[in-house]
This record gives sequence, structure tokens and C-alpha cells, in this order.
Amino acid sequence: MSDETTAPASIPEELSQQFTNEGGFLATKLDTVINWGRSNSLWPFPFGTACCAIEFMGTVSSVFDLSRFGAELVRFSPRQADLLLVAGTITYKQAPILKQIYDQMCEPKWVVAIGACASSGGFYDCYCTVPGIDHIIPVDVYVAGCPPRPEAILESLVQIQNKIGDEKVSTTHVEASS
Amino acid sequence: MAKIIPRPQLSLLEQLYFVEVFKGMALTIKHAVRSLAKPETIPVLNYPEVQPELPAEHRSEHRLMKRADGTSRCVACYMCQTACPARCITIVAEESPDGDIEKRPATFDIDWLLCVFCGLCVEACPCDAIRMDTGKAILVEDSRDAFIANKDRLMDWSPADYPAEDIISQEAPGGLLNEQALAAMQGGMFSAGDVADVADKETC
Amino acid sequence: MDLVQTEIPEGFTRSAGGGHTEEYYLNMGPQHPSTHGVLRLMVRLDGETVKEIVPHIGYIHRSIEKMAESQSLIQNIHLTDRLDYLSCHMTNLGLCLAIEQGADVGVPERAEYIRIIVCELQRIQSHLLWWGCFAMDLGALTAFLYGFDEREKITDLFEELCGARLTMNYFRPGGCVSDLPNEFIPRILKICEHMKTTLDEYDNLVSKNMIIRERTQGVGILSKERALSHGCTGPVARASGINYDVRKDEPYGIYNRFDFDVPLGATGDCYDRYTVRIEEMRQSIRILEQACKDLPDGDFRSKEKPNYKIPKDEHSFSSVETARGNFSTYVVSDGGKTPYRIKYRSPNFSHIGAINDMASGYKLADLVTVLATLDPVIPDIDR
Repeated sequence: MSDETTAPASIPEELSQQFTNEGGFLATKLDTVINWGRSNSLWPFPFGTACCAIEFMGTVSSVFDLSRFGAELVRFSPRQADLLLVAGTITYKQAPILKQIYDQMCEPKWVVAIGACASSGGFYDCYCTVPGIDHIIPVDVYVAGCPPRPEAILESLVQIQNKIGDEKVSTTHVEASS
Repeated sequence: MAKIIPRPQLSLLEQLYFVEVFKGMALTIKHAVRSLAKPETIPVLNYPEVQPELPAEHRSEHRLMKRADGTSRCVACYMCQTACPARCITIVAEESPDGDIEKRPATFDIDWLLCVFCGLCVEACPCDAIRMDTGKAILVEDSRDAFIANKDRLMDWSPADYPAEDIISQEAPGGLLNEQALAAMQGGMFSAGDVADVADKETC
Repeated sequence: MDLVQTEIPEGFTRSAGGGHTEEYYLNMGPQHPSTHGVLRLMVRLDGETVKEIVPHIGYIHRSIEKMAESQSLIQNIHLTDRLDYLSCHMTNLGLCLAIEQGADVGVPERAEYIRIIVCELQRIQSHLLWWGCFAMDLGALTAFLYGFDEREKITDLFEELCGARLTMNYFRPGGCVSDLPNEFIPRILKICEHMKTTLDEYDNLVSKNMIIRERTQGVGILSKERALSHGCTGPVARASGINYDVRKDEPYGIYNRFDFDVPLGATGDCYDRYTVRIEEMRQSIRILEQACKDLPDGDFRSKEKPNYKIPKDEHSFSSVETARGNFSTYVVSDGGKTPYRIKYRSPNFSHIGAINDMASGYKLADLVTVLATLDPVIPDIDR
């Protein structure tokens, strides 16, 4: 989450207290609502390069059904997506493109590294493979496997949803203003 | 026989676009009605409420097998580390107090984030010390370090979780002395007669 | 009325037509939903019409051939899994055949039949994925779900057989890793029966749809001469009329015992490539039924050696027919534990080379159709 969000112009004193107190009623309620909305309507951007992309396609299909989590609307434009799913090997030739796509996504955004190749380079210990995309972009969740089962990809989505549930949205906004 | 596939000519009814569209919709509606009427025909596996049932052969997380006294069967021969194409296994050997079993692993680390789950380590092991049949194929964490499994984590399993009638015994000595294990795991490469000729002390 | 309006109507500032138009370059970048992987196409466009295409590859180059020099022959088998991952049994088989040729290893009868059964089942699986993605690229998203649903049935069978869903690693020199599980053959026969009716149903959905016919007939024509000069094989070449199938012309294993047809197309347009693949699925079902009926008992692998070594200075070569074409493996040995060089000939490389011939002169949307019917798997090109 970035701290450069613009703060509201002015907040009445008593309301500000409700927001800045830890566990203030309004702050937690607002957090719950915002996080509930965000976690149940993640729009994934499938950055599929190799074999793991096929398992991602299997996850979207009817047997494993990603749409049960509200994430069926795969967006192929980074401007419209908030969950970057990197599935497959990232080579040094592809790395600038991954960075560009990540930069083009708007906040808030989360990244899942699917498979051994994206998480750690896998067994491609060679001149052309990036040994894990966390050398280029920050990763929230790693999924092991070659390729991982579709259930593992769904589990990563559940973990992202849990992570979003722990975020404190409203206090971050207010701290930036004070 | 090579044959040229003829291009079917559409009849007049089929050329009317809407007829085919309605046929397509009819297929979709048929699927929808069947799913509503008989929910058991819906193909969806509702993870995470329903955990996947993996077949026994599924290559999942590793486990280190144990001897009858609870120590691992591994003799630190480094065959699995050599066979591994991803070089995700790291073994450090030490001297075993038992003179017949000369070595044992001091540390045995597998980095599951590097592992490609190919099964070559299981094929290479001469002692049936490592298996990939835990059935745990869902491995999702949020930091790289959580994927490194050390010896304790790999030996953290109980025989109660595995079928009792498994002919490859869970707590046998393993290796050359476990005839059934060898016959089953290596597909008949050794027969029980070959095994009886081998050394009679527990070496593997 | 004059076709070229020389007078500017009221309110407009510039004249239409007769003015100056420019061609421009469009980058269908490596990240695009319809490039089937990481393929970058630079397209020279005049309005919507494609004038020239230059493909750029190498975005998924993982040096599999270089890594092959530092891994033993058995470890190389699971590297071939990652080449054309949709027909990985066939690529595994290609390397195993080359090793068997070089190290002089025999294969028992049952193993030969198992290989044929597993390869043809994978061909059906690969074509089902192609069918779903082909319809999805044209905009019909439901077909993707149908195709994957059918594909899951075959994936479940493979999971019981070899323990993995996509990167199978099931063949070894001399046979297979393990025998068929219980009730495998009756389940395959049940899938064959089911596929016969569903294939007709799904085929009619797509091939009798006027929109898809208009979008694929007469589009992306690749003539026989151009296909030959580019080195196209597989369904792409057969749709252009070239009668070449490795299983018939250079049979490997026991393919010469089975009775099946080789479908050909007449014009080489997208619709022909579509019908050829659908018919190939039907022929694969035919081969499966024959193989399941005649499956003998016996060993699934000849006696295993601890290390397979090809003698020094021996070259061995094998060709298999994957779902995309002729996949060849060339192994050069220097007598050591690891091969000196392994070269893979991938069918998709030639097809991408022919894309300029196929899609020039058509619209940009037709380029997507052509790419969908080519069915490329990009890691196979980049290796």
C-alpha cells in the first residue's frame, strides 16, 4: 500500500479521533467494508508465459472455478487489474516488460508468483532466467509446484484475501494527512 | 489413407444464423437445467470446503521414511542430491554411531520452491528413504524461507495417516532388507530370491 | 455522385479521401491475450489491413538445450516436458527413442502399446485445449469452458497414471516408469465413447455457425508450395494439402499396425486447419480403440540400467508426431555421462516463420484467427 495517497482536506476533530484511535469504531467498520469489497472482487491479470499458465486456465475453467471467489473477470490490461498473477518462467528479456506492467497497474495491487519458475527460477539455473520475480517486483504470495495444482492457485487467492482483510485502509489515509 | 475432408454445405435452415444460435443456446440451457435439477452433475470441486482427493501416485511433498527405532533410513549416499535436476536437496553427512550403518544425514534440507516435483529423487534412492506420497500438493506461503524443509519437518508424519495395508512397510528397515518394498518400488527389477543373497546385516 | 468528394461539406475542416494516408507499425507485444504465450509480433498496418508481420521470439528462451549438456540423459527427459507442454508425452517419447537407438535398448511389446495409448490420449487432450482457445480467441467464451471440462477427464486419468497433471515424465528408455493402474483401459474406452458424441455436438456448435465460417473460410490461406518451403508439418501442412504424417511416413513404435486415416485440407485456410484437427481427434479415438483391444500382458519396461550411455561419437535421431507437427530429437554423444549436444527440431518454429505469408493482406482481427488456428506453443520455439 502506498503512502502517497492524497488526504482529505479537513476532518472535524471528534471524527478524526474516531479514525486515529486504534480500534476506533468507524475506522474498523470502514476497514471491514473496504477490505470486504476489495477481496471479493479481485480482477486478476494473468501474466502467463509458460506451463503454469495452462494450470491457471484450468483454474478459471468450470472444474475449479475461480469465479466462486469473485475473480473471474480476467483483465488483460494492467490499468484495469489489481492482482498480478505471474505464471511461468521470467527471462531477462521478459523482465523489463514485467516491471513495466507492474508499474502500470494502479494501487492497490497484489502479486502472486505461481510455480517454481516465477518464485525462484526453478531448475533453470542458467544465464537467461531471472531467479525469482522478487528480484524485480515485490511478491505477496508464493505458490510452489511445477506446475502447482489449480487448488494451490485457489489457496493463494484465499491467502491474498486474508492479507487484504488485515489491511488498515482508513488509518493509512489519515496518517498521511497529519 | 489420406483423405481430403469435404467442406459441409449448409442447408438453408442452417444458413439462417439464428437457427444455429438457438441450437447453441439450447445446449447451454440444457447444461444449466441439468445442473439445477441434479446438483451432483455440476463438475465444480468446491475448494476450500472440499479438499482434493489425490491419487496415491501423485507427486506431492516429500517425507523421509523411518526405521523401527525412529531414525531415518537415509544413509547420506547423496544419490538423491545428484539425481535432482533442480539441486534443491542439500545433505550434510555425519558418522553414524552404529558401525554397520556408516553414515547418516546431519542435515537434510529440501527447498520446495526450487523443487520441480519430478520424482527422480525417489527413483534414485536405494534405501526407500524418501517418498513423495504425502498427498500434500497445496504449498502456498508468503515468504521464501517458509518453503525450506529440514529433516525434522520431513520426518514429521505419523503412520496412522497412511494406509495400514500398504505392502511397502512404513517402519521396516527399508532398502535391500525390505524385499516387498524393493519388489514393488522397482517394478520387479529385483525378486525376493536376489535379495536373500545380499548381506544379512542391516546396512540400508 | 463522385466517389472522391472534392468539396468539403459544411462544418468539416479537411477533405476526406484523396488525402494522404500513412502506414504505421503496431506492436502486438509479448504480453497479449491472444499470442498464446510470449510472442511479439511487429505488424505494419495500412488502416486495418496487415501488410507485413515480423515475429520476435526469445522471450521464454530458457536454454534447455544448453542445460541438456550438464544433465544426464534420464534427467533430460523431464526437461523435454517443458518444451511442448501440451504434448509432453510425445516429446518425452522423442528423446527416449533417440536414447534407445543410441544405447541399443529394446522395448517390450506391452510398453509399445502403452506408449501409443498414452500418446494418442494426449493428442486428444491437446486438441481439446486448442478447440477451446480457438473459439475463445474468436470471442466465443463458452467453448473454452466446454473444452476444458472434457480435458479434465483425461487429465484425471494421467494424474493416476504418472502422478502429475502437466509435466508427466512418464517414459524412460526401454518403456515406462510404471504399469497402467487398475481399470485404466475400461475408463479410456468410456471416454472414447463419450468423446464420439460430444465431439460431433461441439463441432457442430462451431463449424455450423455462420459467423465463424465467415471469419475462417478464405482467411489465412497458406498454399502447398509456401507451406513446403517454410517447412511446416503437422495439421498446418496437412490443411494445405501436404500428405505428411510421421506416424505413416516414418513410423516409430508400432504405429504401422494400426489402421487410421490422415485428414487433408483442400485450400489451406483457417477453416481447413480447424477441420483437420477435429478429424485428427476422431482418428485418434480410432487408434485408441484398436490399441486398447489388442493390449498384451507383459513387462512395462525392459531391464533397467543404472546409467544409459550412448557410445562415443554416436549420433542418434528420432522423429515423433506431436499434436503440432514433426518434433525431432538429435543427440550427439562423446561417451560421457552427459550428452555432448541435444538439438530439438520444433514444429512451431516453422509455423511462426510462415505467419507473414498467411496473414498478410487480411485484417488485424484475421491475424488473431490465423494465430489461433496455428496453435503455437511458444516455449517450444524458444526452447
